Amino acid sequence: MFSFLIRRLLLIIPTVFVALSFLFALFFVLPGDPATLIAGGANRTPDPGVIERVNERYGLNDPLGEQFLNYWKRTLQWDLGESFQNRRSVNEILGEKAVNSVRLGIWAILIEILIGISVGVLSAIRRYSIADKLTTVVTAVASAVPVFVLGFILQYALAVYPNKHDWPAWMRLRTQGLGPDTWTLFFIPTGETWRYLVLPAVALASVSTALATRMTRGSMLEVMRADYMRTARAKGLNERQVIVRHGLRNAMLPVVTLIGVDFGTVIGAAVLTETTFSWPGLGSEIASSVISRDLPVTLGLTLAVVLAYTVINLLVDVSYGWFDPRIRFGKGSKQ
Amino acid sequence: MSRSRRNRTLVAGLVGLSLLAAACGGDDSADSATGTTTEGSQSTEGGGGAAGGEFIDLGTFVGDPPEHIDPALNSTLDAYQVINALYDGLTDLDTTDPANPVVKPLVAESFEANDDATVWTFKIKEGVTFSDGEAIKPSSFARAWERASDPDFAGDYSYLFNFIKGGEEKLAGTAETLEGVKADDAAMTLTVTLAAPYSNFATVAGFQLFFPMPSAVDDLADQGEWENGVMIGNGPYKMEKARTDQEIVLVKSDTWAGDVNGEKWEDRLDKIVFKVSADPDTAYNAFEAGEGLTANVPPGRAKEADENHATTQAVKISGTYHFDINMENPVVGGEKNVLLRQAISQAIDRETINEAVYDGIRQTSTGVTPPGIPGFKEDLCKYCGYDEAAAKKAADDWKAAGNSLAAPIKVQFNAGAGHEDVVAIIVDNLKAVGIDAAATPMPTETYFSELAKGACEVCRAGWYADYPTYDNFMYDLFHSDAAGGGNNYSQFKNAEFDKLVDDAKQTVDADEQGKLFTEAEDILLNEAIAVIPINWYVGDYVYNPDKVANFPQSGLGLVAWEQIALKG
Repeated sequence: MFSFLIRRLLLIIPTVFVALSFLFALFFVLPGDPATLIAGGANRTPDPGVIERVNERYGLNDPLGEQFLNYWKRTLQWDLGESFQNRRSVNEILGEKAVNSVRLGIWAILIEILIGISVGVLSAIRRYSIADKLTTVVTAVASAVPVFVLGFILQYALAVYPNKHDWPAWMRLRTQGLGPDTWTLFFIPTGETWRYLVLPAVALASVSTALATRMTRGSMLEVMRADYMRTARAKGLNERQVIVRHGLRNAMLPVVTLIGVDFGTVIGAAVLTETTFSWPGLGSEIASSVISRDLPVTLGLTLAVVLAYTVINLLVDVSYGWFDPRIRFGKGSKQ
Repeated sequence: MSRSRRNRTLVAGLVGLSLLAAACGGDDSADSATGTTTEGSQSTEGGGGAAGGEFIDLGTFVGDPPEHIDPALNSTLDAYQVINALYDGLTDLDTTDPANPVVKPLVAESFEANDDATVWTFKIKEGVTFSDGEAIKPSSFARAWERASDPDFAGDYSYLFNFIKGGEEKLAGTAETLEGVKADDAAMTLTVTLAAPYSNFATVAGFQLFFPMPSAVDDLADQGEWENGVMIGNGPYKMEKARTDQEIVLVKSDTWAGDVNGEKWEDRLDKIVFKVSADPDTAYNAFEAGEGLTANVPPGRAKEADENHATTQAVKISGTYHFDINMENPVVGGEKNVLLRQAISQAIDRETINEAVYDGIRQTSTGVTPPGIPGFKEDLCKYCGYDEAAAKKAADDWKAAGNSLAAPIKVQFNAGAGHEDVVAIIVDNLKAVGIDAAATPMPTETYFSELAKGACEVCRAGWYADYPTYDNFMYDLFHSDAAGGGNNYSQFKNAEFDKLVDDAKQTVDADEQGKLFTEAEDILLNEAIAVIPINWYVGDYVYNPDKVANFPQSGLGLVAWEQIALKG
């Protein structure tokens, strides 16, 4: 187990190096001169003197190799540089955005776990019931509707409509922003804040919840045909124990993998949800930094997302052992 | 100046959604008005008219948080809204009569130029202070200008210091200070010597780049920190706290000295919260959900916004939307193609473009320089009216002279920014008079730099006035100085035009100056036909008429925040 962890952690190094070097290269390959893009607004050509000063300030005149080396030197000291756009420290931007992303991500994943798994299990044990068929339809729709369309509908139905019809304040959800900064235990919204969190969390969770539901259902159906389920029933266990301890635990492996992957996605790539609900997270910041060619922000935030993603995947792999004790790690895994 | 810096590619993708929203909305114009909010407005002093109150704005930052709110660095209209509430300059424009704006002293008590407009003397008012109580002296301006022209700090507009003697050297790093700026705090005079005669300097001196700075900036290790802290200014509002990516909060400043007419707007709002939204459509949803009192009119929803709420779409904004024609391009440029260019201009149905693409809210252009710019003259352009027969005749005459097109004329535009429909109509219009044309989208990221390098054939461009002067259009967009790398995408180089513009820039008499500028524009539009004006911009704020009594947006697009009043 220990050597497995070490090996997996060491793998992070080449992963990060390749990912970021690729992004770095992309910055210079993309069309357009970076300095012009940094200095120029839409509709105007920046003054040549201004472009020259931007080049100077950010060392864009240096040979590419030197810029690359300098970048890695700083990054290894966890100095992510300053934004080309507003000259803020990227470490600071990262700290701020990561908190927002993680909070939203946690709730999206909680919704995915709670609703996805429970509905999936119920669907499987009541196969072909009305509820099961309804689940199939709803999950198909939820995974097909783009997040911004769903977000728009949610905003209209739960915020605009209630406002136009004078519903009491507590029944009206908020469409924009973070709300007051009141959180308990880091991720539990208190006071007004929950009204701001609900819509983006639901929108962000929609697709992954639908997928988790379907996967749980499929996986459960397969497991329920297994011999050990019959054995469990024959042993005289009640149906609840059979489903939860023998069925669910075995059916969870693919679902856990899915949720692990989703964790990375909801934190680093929730661009559309973040944009639709003006939730200032990592995804939309990375996207807008790419558009405005703000290299330090793109690289710094991507580095953080890649690291988080790798660590979560590691945790997912480790958790396999708990779900299925037959899985062993490291050299002793030969059977 | 651009509306905001980044191109909203996402927005374009979401335009389709407006259809959905339009289908959902519009059924309850009366209801929408009566929604109560826990936030939004509240009157602090009762009585008949409401005084003070809190104002939540969702219409200014609809895309990204502003990059800069430091007057020395900002280059967008969005952030200028905040800066303009925080700072007052030497001069400001009195737009009481929108058709005839007048430059008046603001922090200056008076200003005067010598005969050839090379030396400007600003007498600074006594007793005016920053919001922290520090007195504003001529040196407050000198400090700000030295700071903004420091080559290590300078922003996108720093090239304006080239107007001032020694500015070029300062920006290049070969001079320590701006040679032409002399601040005499004892006499309360600021004397500015220009690099060349310039009669509109008083107007330019009211631009954000030239706003004063308190001594607190001298204590900063890095000037970039200023805008990320609580900036101290001298405007009607001051910052309540440092900005975040979610909001900028301003509160009433009690030390404000009043506007250009000495009006102090004592009952102005107590607090203004600028919320940052990620996209105009969702900001509009938030506005309709009662989360704020304003929004930006999203693309395609102009009519709906007017029907259900109130908007500033009747306000004429000093900005132009036009197509440049490259005078050095063998297909459309040069003397021999004048008739072709005339045909192109007359073939375009500007009214249909306005109706079909902009819900009819924009003003169809009759020239490049828009109304609200001193010197503006109506109906300057002879060939801007839709006349299919005349266009066909001009095209036929051009062909009869032995000319022909080897390939369709390229009508170029930056892709994904909402110009597709305009260009499609133009291409149809041209085909109708026998001129073959093809819509030619180009990547947004490099569009304007390509045009600057001469890639334009017939290419879309737009321009918001930086400051309300005629030369901000004629000199910056069409003078030969701005060709070959600048904003003169037509590569228009005409000695007679240049001379008129140069002369006008040095003419102190306003009427005489206006005459020279319009003569120059006449050459541009009617003799050379180097540009095809399409329309002039209009205001784009929507606001809640049940809570907001008035919401004045000026011709420069700036909102007079101090004049906003809430309903009781």
